[in-house]
Amino acid sequence: MKTPILEMKHIRKTFASTVALGDVDLNVYPGEIRGLIGENGSGKSTISSIAAGMQKADSGEMLYHGKTWTPGSMIEALSGGIGMIVQESGTIQGVSVAENMFLGETKQFPGPFGSIDRKAMNTKADEALRAIGIQNVSGATPMAALDFQTRKLVEIAKVVMKDPEILVVDETTTALSQEGRQILYDLMKRLRDEGKAVLFISHDLEEIMEVCDTLTVLRDGAIIRHFTKDEFDADQIRTSMIGRELQGDYYRSDFTPSHWNEVAVELRNVSFGEALEDVSITFRKGEIVGIGGLSHCGMHPLGKILFGAIRPDSGEVVTGSGVRITSETVAMRENFGYVSKDRDVESLSLTASIRDNIAIAGMERYAVNNFLMLSSREKVYVDKQIADLSIKCADRDQSVSQLSGGNKQKVVFGKWIGRGSEVLILDCPTRGVDIGVKRAMYQLMAELKKEGKSIIMISEEMPELMGMSDRLIIMKDGRITKEFERSADLSDTEIIKYMI
Amino acid sequence: MEQEAILRKYKLRQRLIDLLPLAALAALFAILCITVQSKGYRLDMYLKIIFNEGVVLAVVATGAVFIYTLGSFDISLGASTLFSATLGVMTYNATGSLPLMILVIFGVAVGCSLLSSVLASVFHIPVFVTTVAMMSVLSAIAAQIITTNGGAVGGISIPSALVKPLDNMGFKIAVLAIFWLICFFVFDFTKIGRKQKFLGGNPVCAQLTGIQVNKYAIIAFVMAGIGVGLGAFLTLVYTPSVTATTAGSIGMNIIVAIVFGGMPISGGPRSRIYSALVGGFSYILLNNILKLVIDSNIGYGVSQIVSAVFFLAVVYVTGLNYRSQMLPR
Amino acid sequence: MKKALALILALVMVLALAACGNSAPAASNDAPAAAGNDAPAANDKPIKIGVLVSDVSGEEALGFRAYYENYIAKNYNVTFTYTEQLEDAAAEKAAIEKFAAQGYDAILSLSASDRTTQIETCIANGLYYAVVSGMLDDAQFEQFKGEQYFVGQIGPSMDTEYEAGYAMGKHFADNGAKTVGIYGAFIPNPMHVYRTAGVLAGLGCTYGGASDKDGIAGQLFGDQGVNMEKLECGDVQVIGYFQGFGDTTFDELFAIVGQQPDAFLSVGMATTFFADALNGAKIPYSDIDSFTSGNAANMADGTLVYLAGKYSSSIGPIFAAVMNAVQGNPVRDAEGNALSISQSYLVATDSAAFDSIFNGDKGDSPIFSKDVLDTVIGAVSYDDFVKLVESK
Repeated sequence: MKTPILEMKHIRKTFASTVALGDVDLNVYPGEIRGLIGENGSGKSTISSIAAGMQKADSGEMLYHGKTWTPGSMIEALSGGIGMIVQESGTIQGVSVAENMFLGETKQFPGPFGSIDRKAMNTKADEALRAIGIQNVSGATPMAALDFQTRKLVEIAKVVMKDPEILVVDETTTALSQEGRQILYDLMKRLRDEGKAVLFISHDLEEIMEVCDTLTVLRDGAIIRHFTKDEFDADQIRTSMIGRELQGDYYRSDFTPSHWNEVAVELRNVSFGEALEDVSITFRKGEIVGIGGLSHCGMHPLGKILFGAIRPDSGEVVTGSGVRITSETVAMRENFGYVSKDRDVESLSLTASIRDNIAIAGMERYAVNNFLMLSSREKVYVDKQIADLSIKCADRDQSVSQLSGGNKQKVVFGKWIGRGSEVLILDCPTRGVDIGVKRAMYQLMAELKKEGKSIIMISEEMPELMGMSDRLIIMKDGRITKEFERSADLSDTEIIKYMI
Repeated sequence: MEQEAILRKYKLRQRLIDLLPLAALAALFAILCITVQSKGYRLDMYLKIIFNEGVVLAVVATGAVFIYTLGSFDISLGASTLFSATLGVMTYNATGSLPLMILVIFGVAVGCSLLSSVLASVFHIPVFVTTVAMMSVLSAIAAQIITTNGGAVGGISIPSALVKPLDNMGFKIAVLAIFWLICFFVFDFTKIGRKQKFLGGNPVCAQLTGIQVNKYAIIAFVMAGIGVGLGAFLTLVYTPSVTATTAGSIGMNIIVAIVFGGMPISGGPRSRIYSALVGGFSYILLNNILKLVIDSNIGYGVSQIVSAVFFLAVVYVTGLNYRSQMLPR
Repeated sequence: MKKALALILALVMVLALAACGNSAPAASNDAPAAAGNDAPAANDKPIKIGVLVSDVSGEEALGFRAYYENYIAKNYNVTFTYTEQLEDAAAEKAAIEKFAAQGYDAILSLSASDRTTQIETCIANGLYYAVVSGMLDDAQFEQFKGEQYFVGQIGPSMDTEYEAGYAMGKHFADNGAKTVGIYGAFIPNPMHVYRTAGVLAGLGCTYGGASDKDGIAGQLFGDQGVNMEKLECGDVQVIGYFQGFGDTTFDELFAIVGQQPDAFLSVGMATTFFADALNGAKIPYSDIDSFTSGNAANMADGTLVYLAGKYSSSIGPIFAAVMNAVQGNPVRDAEGNALSISQSYLVATDSAAFDSIFNGDKGDSPIFSKDVLDTVIGAVSYDDFVKLVESK
């Protein structure tokens, strides 16, 4: 048995009203990629962020190479040898890529009169970027000019250039395309082969089984089981994650496309900047339309245009009854709902309670004469959504910031479904959500379809697009490249051809 | 089991922190009464003075809560109180009509407020910026009018007998109560208040929930304008004159009042309409207690320093509530 | 539940406040009487005087305060309580009401946001009131002169301010100054407006065609300062004018100093702001300020050549009048009207003159010393006061 690089013993951590970790032991060994998996709120991010100095445990001890490990901050942890790439972007937009990478350390590039030798800094940044296989970004590029994925890659380069002994990758791949993921996988393997360790946190079971050597399952702040590579079995892992057998189907069980005849909403010759070019799609009631493609194919702006949040340069969005959608307010009036990809910024008010977030969209549903707001009626309305969607929370007045990702997403769903949205535009609806919640959402979507709602699912995940859509529209460079009907014979290699 | 215990403890703490501003008001009230009594001063008179000192602040700040809820900020409220009172006095002196004077005061107050918010939405700049400009412009114009017309007296005034009959507790309490109840209703029982709180919490999300940002900003500024109009009128009721320094401290005191009332200065879902009332009177009580307790011979500014320390303590304690600990996801 | 509780508590609080406050008018008539307002104060009980101030840090204000607190309070059975800096009319009224609630006997006012309201509030609360600094305008005085609780005013009237400015301007014109710079201090403060109007007239200038007090002052109020284009001067040339105090004040000063004027005339505060700069540049300058040690040095070692000023104890007589009123010896004229005596400035143009005034008004031996004031304390006539004030 090798000696562990990091030993975590009896780690305990509580947040406000939640026990995030209760007495957890975890060892990290050299030369391994260890997966951490569990439902939202299971404690996997908490344990790794404690190791990486992002927060402190309430009690317990950590040994790093046999010595007490008490990093005061992420920077301290990184210089000590444990680096972490966080779930949400941790870069600063206003400055260059190199400045981001050497934030707080620019003194190592002294220029004349106390200035910074930018040339040297940019060169060093370029080297670090190339070292992990990022070719098309230079240190001098302004951070703001980069897209989300590239920013993430810069962040990875920033951490890796410190040559950490343990690299923590928290839910990073959801932000990355296939190409970006490959860069990260290669990097993780290289570190492992160099005798270092990687802690890899992901919701994607397939991915984790593919990439990891060992796997630790957490549930409700406790470690449930460790798996070695030869023990990997999707069903067993899922069962230990949820603590029970999964009931019912994951995706839809039928393979026949179906929809009602009425048109729900129509995109007519919509163009918008370079993102969309002359796109026309008709969405029908009782239909789930999947829209897929690479991150920049234009499908995300398309979602916003459908909801009236972006005015297209030309073309229009018209409902089945002929109303033009020109603003969010009109879309709301026409019973549209929009779940954004950027949940914490665009779909939720984090400082507000579950109640506020759900109630805000459905006020006309329970206000007396569409005017007077009564707390009693509001509570009934909100509690129904909490119950229907089984939102795990202390009570309706709990702040949504205290909820796990999956439960936050359920709140967003509750906000739109509660008001009876007829057209639901879902942009990456299962991003960062664990499989238990995912399954519940897929079942809900199937349910809504039956009720005749029109569901537009924009997603970067091939399996859910194939598993749920009646019709799958593939986009590339702002245009529709292919439309597939629902079928058991669809293959992802066939679909991907139209994306790239 | 353990989870439940933690949750109970947490909720209890939240509740206590929520009640702190009220507890502070009650405590300050008691301390003032004891201090005044023990010094042998007239408590009835003191309470009346304090009510008079606090009522204008409470009214203007209650209106301002709508703006602060949006996470916005209006630094021009003191200046527009001065400006509307000035134009009100000028109107009375020109026409001799009290109703016209009141009309002008409210019209000007709401107009100034509207102008700030409309300019902000037309030019797409933060409304805070337009209020800074408004503050300079309004106080400059008011000062110009007052000094040109006030001459050697240094101020302009209406005949003191004109509004003297209104300078009594009953009238002022009625004004405060009616205005406060209207604000309370709008804030907590209509879609307007709910949408404003949500908007303050996250404007991007609010927009994507069909809430028209400009519309609710304008409504907020109109409510604040009405508060300013009432404040200006009550100022004239208390002292029938206007000088260039009238209502000069209101702008800052509003912020203090709102914070003392336990509302986060960043607005959002934790905004409370009673913050201005509770905080306004707490602040005035505190100041009076300090002036009574601290001998003025110790030196000027001592009571301000103590009150500033108190302010920071309040910010810290109320901050405990919304500086929430967050799970890392 | 929580919210309901909070609301009820808040309402109770406000109502309690209101209810207690409401009972005030009913009770307010007898309490001040008990404190000894209507009857002469017993000898063993000190007279309590509240002082309203809007300036708490100026040299003149500190001088006044020291005289009252360190000299008068030690020599008479009286206590003085100063307010904090009063910002506006509402603050003045609240301060008076608080003094009333604390059983004070009289108010001396150095604050001028709203004198009418001050006097009305004092009358309503049974407090004697006197103006210490500045004067009421004629209409205001007419309105209140018959009121029992209005003791009166002794100080420089606007006429006196104008005269002080005129004398200063004339002094430099007569002494052959050809080029001058002027500092208008804090126009539109009325006192500074009238002084500046006086300076312009004294230099022999007309302003917008006017050469008289009201003509010039009226325009200065309207223009909020001196508009150089409206200025027509004879022998003396005004090469620069500025006012206020801000970021550019010193630039404006140096623009004038750079032209080496024969004199720099200020209607107030120059000795506080610019003494070092002007002494250093060897520019003769004048000011209307007060007789303080700093100004003694400026005159002896610097280039201060003309100072019109008050001295700290010049506020002695009005105290005596208030004391008399509280003790039941009101000083009224033949028609029963309140005191109104104009007090002029003293002028020094050299160190010897300055020192004689300054040294004559030291902390423990002021010009208006106990011996001097005692001559008007008790049952004295209006004319006794006039004589006393004009004698100094």
